[in-house]
Amino acid sequence: MADTVGSFSRSFAQQPWALWRRQAGRLTLIEVRRNLFSWKASWIYFLAFVPTLLIFIHGLVDRHFVEGISDDTNVLAGIVQFYYVRLGIFFGCLGIFSRLIRGEMIERSLHFYLLSPVRREILLLSKFAAGSISAVLLFETAMVANIALMYGPFGAAGRDYVFHGAGLAQSEAYLVIVPLACLGYGAVFLLLSMMFKNPTPAAMLVLGWEAINPVLPSVLQKISVASYLRHLMPVSIPGEGIFALLTVETEPVSGWAAALGLLLLIAVVLTYSCYRMRRLEIRYTTE
Amino acid sequence: MTDHATLHDRIQFENVSKFYGEVLGVNKVTLSIPPGVTTLVGPNGSGKTTLMNLMTGLVQASSGTISVLGLSPGNATEFFRAVGYCTQFDSFPRGLSGWQFVFDSLMLHGMDKMDAFRLTVEALDRVQLGDSAGWPIASYSKGMRQKIRLAQSIAHHPRVLILDEPLNGLDPMARAESLALFEELGRQGMHLIISSHILDEVDRISDRVVLITGGYLIAEGNIHQVRQEVRDKPMQVLIRCDHPELLASRMFSINHCVEARLHADGQGVFLRTGDIDQFYSMLNGIAAEGVIKINAVAPADDDANAIYQYLIGSDGSAS
Amino acid sequence: MSVYKHDYRPFAGKVTPRWMRIYVLSRYGAAEAWSSKITVGLFVLSLLPLVIFLIGIYLANNPLARALIVKGSSGAIDIDAGYFLKMLEFQSWLALILTAWIAPRLISFDLADNALPILLSHPVSRFGYVLGKFLAMFMFLSIVTWIPCLLLFAYQAYSSPLPWFAAHLSIAAGLFSGAILWITVLSILGLALSSWVKWRVVATGAIFAAVFVPAGVGAIMSAILRTRWGFLLNLPMMMSVLWQRMLGAHPIFAEKYALPTPAILAMLLASCVCFVAMLNARIRAREVVRG
Repeated sequence: MADTVGSFSRSFAQQPWALWRRQAGRLTLIEVRRNLFSWKASWIYFLAFVPTLLIFIHGLVDRHFVEGISDDTNVLAGIVQFYYVRLGIFFGCLGIFSRLIRGEMIERSLHFYLLSPVRREILLLSKFAAGSISAVLLFETAMVANIALMYGPFGAAGRDYVFHGAGLAQSEAYLVIVPLACLGYGAVFLLLSMMFKNPTPAAMLVLGWEAINPVLPSVLQKISVASYLRHLMPVSIPGEGIFALLTVETEPVSGWAAALGLLLLIAVVLTYSCYRMRRLEIRYTTE
Repeated sequence: MTDHATLHDRIQFENVSKFYGEVLGVNKVTLSIPPGVTTLVGPNGSGKTTLMNLMTGLVQASSGTISVLGLSPGNATEFFRAVGYCTQFDSFPRGLSGWQFVFDSLMLHGMDKMDAFRLTVEALDRVQLGDSAGWPIASYSKGMRQKIRLAQSIAHHPRVLILDEPLNGLDPMARAESLALFEELGRQGMHLIISSHILDEVDRISDRVVLITGGYLIAEGNIHQVRQEVRDKPMQVLIRCDHPELLASRMFSINHCVEARLHADGQGVFLRTGDIDQFYSMLNGIAAEGVIKINAVAPADDDANAIYQYLIGSDGSAS
Repeated sequence: MSVYKHDYRPFAGKVTPRWMRIYVLSRYGAAEAWSSKITVGLFVLSLLPLVIFLIGIYLANNPLARALIVKGSSGAIDIDAGYFLKMLEFQSWLALILTAWIAPRLISFDLADNALPILLSHPVSRFGYVLGKFLAMFMFLSIVTWIPCLLLFAYQAYSSPLPWFAAHLSIAAGLFSGAILWITVLSILGLALSSWVKWRVVATGAIFAAVFVPAGVGAIMSAILRTRWGFLLNLPMMMSVLWQRMLGAHPIFAEKYALPTPAILAMLLASCVCFVAMLNARIRAREVVRG
């Protein structure tokens, strides 16, 4: 047993970690550059910042009274719950993470990466890291801007609400929810894009699954990104129509358990994606 | 010891088969390719690209084993330091300039920026793309895209260079430059595996030929040896002399000479014979007589093109 | 070769009229879309709700069957404008899914494989190309929307006493015009986005996103700026209001959210003009370089 552990640790130490770190760094840089600094990526900026623009206009044109803080708090909660989690981050991550591998297959450029001296697992994880950095950077920046623009026009009352009142916990929760949503949806869409030639129909099924998830048995609820995020929402907004499903409270779960559960889900999905990547073949003619 | 050395110096295929579902890619291919320039010859869809993709791990063999200089594509870090592959896919990662394409690729080898910079300049100069390196690849002509792919595949100084249709889209000047580059690399001891349809041009630099059709290996080896082995096809020889008609009539007196055709300039004759050894022996006799002044003798169908015609045929089916 | 020996002649036989060539594109487009098993599956799925609606009409008109099948239930099924509105809404959502799947197959392949220069080098204009693809899309969507809806309306008219048909003819007109409006918008939207994003995978997602994301943005706009005009970005909501008014059903949304019909029609028209402009910009004979 001790020998096994010893040989494992020796083999672990002998791996070219420095080289892998450099390769991963370069791959991430290439991918982030493409995700964030090209005209073709402008639609992700739109998805992330369109609520920010509307909140900015609201700050300019509407008069702000202290009594309005609770109304605006509900509006912000609705934006996070119904827009960012259900639409903005969902479609943003669908675009970013589906493109990482499947997009390169469609554009017939994946072979350049597979022909470089980089382990396929490192390639996949670097691409995932790049997608995550891009998505988190955009949506987290938008979230910070949303909070600032929503409560800024209330002046001292707004500042007090955000830094010393209930707004502090809410802001913290939103700033945790957004990256978790990006990572969670990112991992799912990366996997779907490796499993299907066209991952969008499967993604639409995921959208439907997420919608009906709250009324499913608790075991099935654990296979869902939105269900973990639901437990982290600081303000509950009753939805109308189909969105009402999202706000059905089932088994209460602590924030830590929800976050760890989601991270575990991401780890499982990434491990399986690495396995698929290892067996991936280049056959562009079938795309 | 010898086996070990051979393994680390050759590209080996052992009983390799590849099936795409029910479609045959290649079937039971056993090959051992030494250093030098090797041409892969075969009609469209014969399995040339599959063979190259198998070599580099872009597709995985259904059965059999492949090693390149003793390395396996599964060990990407070691393998792709030794191997460069210029594919025929005319596509690139989105939004890159020629420079970024080559530089990024070198950085993935784990090089520092200075080395990557130096090798990028060197590779771009070698394919004569230095002036347009900063342009987006999307604005390149077809020939420039072919060149930048070549630059990327040679930039890291691989020991094995695999080139899938490297002359496609190049103008005659660029083709000549590329062939000169391949020849030079082959002379320096690099393994070059080239698949091309422009046989007469590749033939000039090629040491060996691998003929493949319908996924089956038809022949492999030195071009002259392969030609010699195709005994059922008469060999054609061009003889430059002052009296080609007389020579033709003399040679036709022997029964293994089956065809004679005058050269367009009237200063030579193409003769086709079923027994090349007897043919040369008789030619010696005629030359010794001194009646006909023979200036030059050269095989006219001892090349990849002729071998292709004889073994595969113009319709692509092996004869 | 002497000129008199040249035997090459251009084709001098009879050719089909110019307008008929558009159907060649439609036919090939439809065949391409139909070649996918998923298209067939989606079609079958799209027709399933109609079976349920058909059973509903049968039960509503046959008290004996109702008593036998729905034992213990005394409630009658009302076959009215609301019933057909539900049917139309169901089918229209399924039409959106079909559009997201089929429209990219009609255009994206041509763009991704650089087939447009080849197609447009034939005597087919850019307008003819788009019209051909549009007709293929329109035909597919017709099969799952207004055609079955009108057939079920005819069945209801046949099954019920005579005055029903005459009294409810406006429902048929509403079903027809409402569905035609929706599938026209969907077809143009699907083709425009498919031509713009080029890759089929992305186009499928973009079509869904183009319907849902503006709806979300519109909802934010309405909530944050306290205005109902944000719902002008909400295509599903606009169409629901329009269908409800066309069929003469009870209002679905509260009065404060209801948008005026001219505003909805103007918004739909403006959207279609944008989509046509997108098609005009992209459907051109040019090579697409991957890189």
